[in-house]
Amino acid sequence: MNQTAELTQSPETAVKKKRKPASLDKKKARAGWLFVLPFVLGFVIIYLPVIYNSILYSFTKISIVAGGGYRLTWVGWENYSDALFVDAGFVQTLVLGIKQLIFDIPAIVIFSLFMAVLLNEKMIGRAAFRAIFFIPVILSTGLIGSIDQSNRMLDYMESTSVVDMGDGASDTATQVISSIQIQRLFENMVIGEDLLNYVVGLVNDIYDIVNRSGVQMLIFLAALQSISPAIYESCEIDGSTAWETFWKITLPMISPMILVNTVYTVIDAFTSADNIVMRYIDNIYSSPGGNVLSSAMAWMYFLLVMIIIAAVAGILSAYTFYQRQER
Amino acid sequence: MNAQAQPATKVMKETKNKIRVDFERTSRWERFRIKYLNGHFIVMTVWWLFRFVLLVGLSYVILMPFLSKIAGSFMSPEDFVDVTVKYIPKYPTLDTYRAIIEESGYWEAFANTFILSLGCGVVQTFICSVIGYGFAKFKFKGSGILFLLVVMTMVIPHNTLELSLFMEFRYFDIFGIFRLLGGGVTADIELISFTSLNLNNTYWPLAILSLTGLAYRNGLYIFMMRQFYRGVPDELEESAYLDGCGVFKTFFRIIIPLSVPMMVTIFLFAFCWQWTDNFYTRVFFTSTGMKLMPDIIMVPRQLSTDFAGGDLYASAIQNTCGLLIIAPLIIVYIFGQRFLIQGIERSGLVG
Repeated sequence: MNQTAELTQSPETAVKKKRKPASLDKKKARAGWLFVLPFVLGFVIIYLPVIYNSILYSFTKISIVAGGGYRLTWVGWENYSDALFVDAGFVQTLVLGIKQLIFDIPAIVIFSLFMAVLLNEKMIGRAAFRAIFFIPVILSTGLIGSIDQSNRMLDYMESTSVVDMGDGASDTATQVISSIQIQRLFENMVIGEDLLNYVVGLVNDIYDIVNRSGVQMLIFLAALQSISPAIYESCEIDGSTAWETFWKITLPMISPMILVNTVYTVIDAFTSADNIVMRYIDNIYSSPGGNVLSSAMAWMYFLLVMIIIAAVAGILSAYTFYQRQER
Repeated sequence: MNAQAQPATKVMKETKNKIRVDFERTSRWERFRIKYLNGHFIVMTVWWLFRFVLLVGLSYVILMPFLSKIAGSFMSPEDFVDVTVKYIPKYPTLDTYRAIIEESGYWEAFANTFILSLGCGVVQTFICSVIGYGFAKFKFKGSGILFLLVVMTMVIPHNTLELSLFMEFRYFDIFGIFRLLGGGVTADIELISFTSLNLNNTYWPLAILSLTGLAYRNGLYIFMMRQFYRGVPDELEESAYLDGCGVFKTFFRIIIPLSVPMMVTIFLFAFCWQWTDNFYTRVFFTSTGMKLMPDIIMVPRQLSTDFAGGDLYASAIQNTCGLLIIAPLIIVYIFGQRFLIQGIERSGLVG
């Protein structure tokens, strides 16, 4: 409330000093600064030092001094070289994690787009289906996700051990279709082995994918709702089929959101607790003397993911269609 | 329509006030054929079936883990040994729930987490609306760069900053002021008796992060609020200014009441994500000083898992802990999911 008082008084003080009173634009600019002030303060006081320290720590070793305090010893690139060349599992985990990330992106984006289109149609029980599909957004994060990581009971409950396909492969958790059945289906087609493995892997991971595409579905749904019905109507009058409408209207109209969702998916996968690289880094963090090492690892991983985001965003933005310019 | 088109229509006068229209109606089979045996109808039916099966199947995939967790939570040790038992326990019992609630201090953790999540939710919702409004409606130098910084806080995961976040609040100090006053730099000035504050194991770290819009996914909330406020017509505020409202009065009197549905959405996100959060609780609440939800995940001592199906039982107990943790959230979700979806649809998140 002090700030409002200041604002209203400012013309008077300006008159006293024989200066021109601030123009409306200037006043509004000042008010804008006041509104974003909490963020600016936090950013300068908390966030910048935190980022600076995090980079600093990755170049040092920390020792806690008795009597409340700590000492940093500068070691240069030692933590980085330790992470890359001394630590046994890091590079391997990193490569595996990045590979997984790259394969997961298209699966999650396409799946969430498909589900958003489905949930956007008018049908019986749409509200109920929507409610069910957004359960993971709220409930399967953080703690529950970490409980679910190694859940023997779920594996047991959902195994269909009665049905043995005779291939010696036992079905594991949350499979909708047995992967062996798919394999049999695809065996006769001329299709690459890698693609087959990818599809089978996706089907086996459907629970994981559904869980991770909740927010993306919400964003796509909002995008679909924002497309003007008039466009669809004119399409219908011109005699285009649903298939054509999807490719010619829906997809270009929501293409900015595809970009947003892809970036969000990368960030979400990157920060989630069941990411193998993050789990590895967490383990290192809690091991003795590993806290600085984990900082170095996290920064390296962050840089790699940034490169991926930049590459993906660069490619996608070439194909993105913007209906109107920014206001 | 049909009747008029057909030339065979005959209108006969029966009495003075009644007429009888006699026309040849298209046969029943013909009508059936035209209505149902066309390409469009068949495609729509197949699509409808496909969609329904798919949605039901995926709903099953989502709900199944919850249902099997609930089933497992009522099972007694005997059920885990018995191979014929899968979902419906033969010897249903509430022992698991009772043991966890008795031993892990559930109510204490519940109360602490509730205060924490409610506080964080309210503060974050308010602060993010304020910041989002500032970005949406005011043009000032550097607003573009500042917004880029907001996006950056969203992109840099806090896991990367784990150690330095911990250190920041373990030795809390604003620009070295405490260190200066406490005699850390020059020993002869000593105004306060400490050189830094240890804020860990208190609500302060999260309160500070929430107040400055830096807590978990606050970048996303700021982004959503900004998009929402950009959809609010400027004329509303202009008329308020004309009537003599200041900027802040306009915000509190006009804008806040307008954005309540959106704020409920943000609050739901903030509350639920804070409730199940295990990153900040792990970083800021290191010792056993304050019981929070992550601390109740354990196997109670009065339940023995030392038998053949013991590891399954232990896992079932852990799942029960998980169920107890999210039980309040399920209730919140049932009442709030309407807002969640509508809020995002209305926000014009896209645009």
